[in-house]
Amino acid sequence: MIVDLNTFLGHYPFRRLRFTTAGDMVAHLDAHGIEAALVSPTHAFFYRDAHRGNEELLEAVGPFPGRLFAVGMVNPAYAGWERDLRWLAEQGRVKAIALAPEHHAYRLADDRGQAALQQIAELKLPVVLTQRLEDRRQRHHWDIADDLKVDDVVTAANVPTLRLVLLNWLGLPADKLLAAGLRGRCLIDFARMSVVMSKDVPKLIEALGPESIGFGSHMPFDYTAAALVKQSNVLEVLPDVAEQIAWKNADRFLGLGLSDGGR
Amino acid sequence: MPVVSRRRFLSTTAGLGAGLGAVAAAGGGALAAQVEKSAKESSSDLRGLPAGWRTMKKLDAHNHVMQGVHKPGADWSAVERTVEAAKILGIDTLYCSRPLTGGVMASIEAVRDANDSVLAAMKRYPDVIAGYCFVQPGNGKDALEEIDRCIDAGMIGIKLYNQFKYSDPAVFPVAEKCIELKIPFLGHSAYLTDPKTKEAQPRTSNARDFGELATRYPELLLILGHINGGGDWEWAIRTLRDFPTVYLDTSGSVLEDDTIDLCVRELGHRRLLFATDLTMEGGVGKILGAKLTPEQREDIFWRNFQGILDRRPK
Repeated sequence: MIVDLNTFLGHYPFRRLRFTTAGDMVAHLDAHGIEAALVSPTHAFFYRDAHRGNEELLEAVGPFPGRLFAVGMVNPAYAGWERDLRWLAEQGRVKAIALAPEHHAYRLADDRGQAALQQIAELKLPVVLTQRLEDRRQRHHWDIADDLKVDDVVTAANVPTLRLVLLNWLGLPADKLLAAGLRGRCLIDFARMSVVMSKDVPKLIEALGPESIGFGSHMPFDYTAAALVKQSNVLEVLPDVAEQIAWKNADRFLGLGLSDGGR
Repeated sequence: MPVVSRRRFLSTTAGLGAGLGAVAAAGGGALAAQVEKSAKESSSDLRGLPAGWRTMKKLDAHNHVMQGVHKPGADWSAVERTVEAAKILGIDTLYCSRPLTGGVMASIEAVRDANDSVLAAMKRYPDVIAGYCFVQPGNGKDALEEIDRCIDAGMIGIKLYNQFKYSDPAVFPVAEKCIELKIPFLGHSAYLTDPKTKEAQPRTSNARDFGELATRYPELLLILGHINGGGDWEWAIRTLRDFPTVYLDTSGSVLEDDTIDLCVRELGHRRLLFATDLTMEGGVGKILGAKLTPEQREDIFWRNFQGILDRRPK
């Protein structure tokens, strides 16, 4: 079984994506032998009111229980976000809450960011931080969001009970994450990392434990097969942790219920 | 498939004891045997990948040796990791260069030094590493002599970085030398749209610069490097429609869906050369994930580049 942590649903303003609907995403998962996906709301990055993106995503994934698990997003720089966050938690239909400080024009270290991190922690939901949607060297001139920095991860890690899901990251220094107390508190997908060659994945496993890594493809932005090659290499060179990385870590960290025959 | 043991794989990381105790202790099993088994038995293949993908022949047309491994006491670990990754991924040959980056107008001595490290890697791994000669066109006659030296030593082509735009007349003698020797000219490329990156690399060539060079020299074996190396790849592909003699390699750290498919739709698959530029797993994955016939995939993985190599005098 494979659970893809790093997937997005919706249109992207700067490039045509090959699929934008939940039905097409499920067909794509089926074609690639992927059981389930944690789905982030692309529109919520761009809408003034991010919560409208949540509503769209929940409506889209509704028909696919056990296959598509929603991530909610809140914008603490926007009116009514606390109510939206409580609603998302009470509904129990999202597995994590994403923050997009670059797109929503605040900082995790400022009052708004701190309030969001604290409240997400109080609700015992993990926070999702996506480093980038696409490479900055090809940015559309309206796309002014920079990549998130390691300091943003450390800022979030400073909220003691908060658990972090880190999507689409590269250049995460294992020692910094360890010093920030993230061992056992984070789940990192490998979409932009390597298993062989520069060996980002083995290095993170060494520092943070095999429970810290999960499968991620960054679909539909990126080729899913690239992540499957990495998972194949995990099977070949790190077989004892392959199942953890493929799905068990995601299941446990996010409470997906897949090991209980959740589908 | 050469043997890469799991113990050896783990030993080339920073230690990998604590988090992987059982895995490290398991070592000794021949990874190559497992890989071959995987290729033969679809049960250990992941369902979303073509069966037997590891054993498909692959020539990586754009890779690097970025360390000065020709020097006494050199640290070979990065090269070793690259070769190990090639074996695991079933890449037969890595065509490597060592460009001097950062826009540096390097002296001929620095250029020779860079090429010497590739020659050292070729000598150490003759079955895996082949070389491109890095050239800085501003070195004039010395640059042309350096091409002769490297080709005589067994290199297969030349690699340019971003010291000059390829539409610059300083590059023309280098292009003419490539035509004379029937060797490929691989060029760093990007259509950069990010102001900060553009400022840092003002002389990076884009597809139009390649087009201008190709128009001037239609017989030149010109390869636009890393279509996914950062920059607007859709713009590059659209531009290359007007310049049918330009090849492009599939490498780069960007793994964006539809890149390879769009290349095939717009340019045909015969101009595409598989490459990774050190993004090795993703580079293979892109080709496996694109909607290609088995024959098209083979052509991209190796046959198209082999056709370029076969043009050189025997």
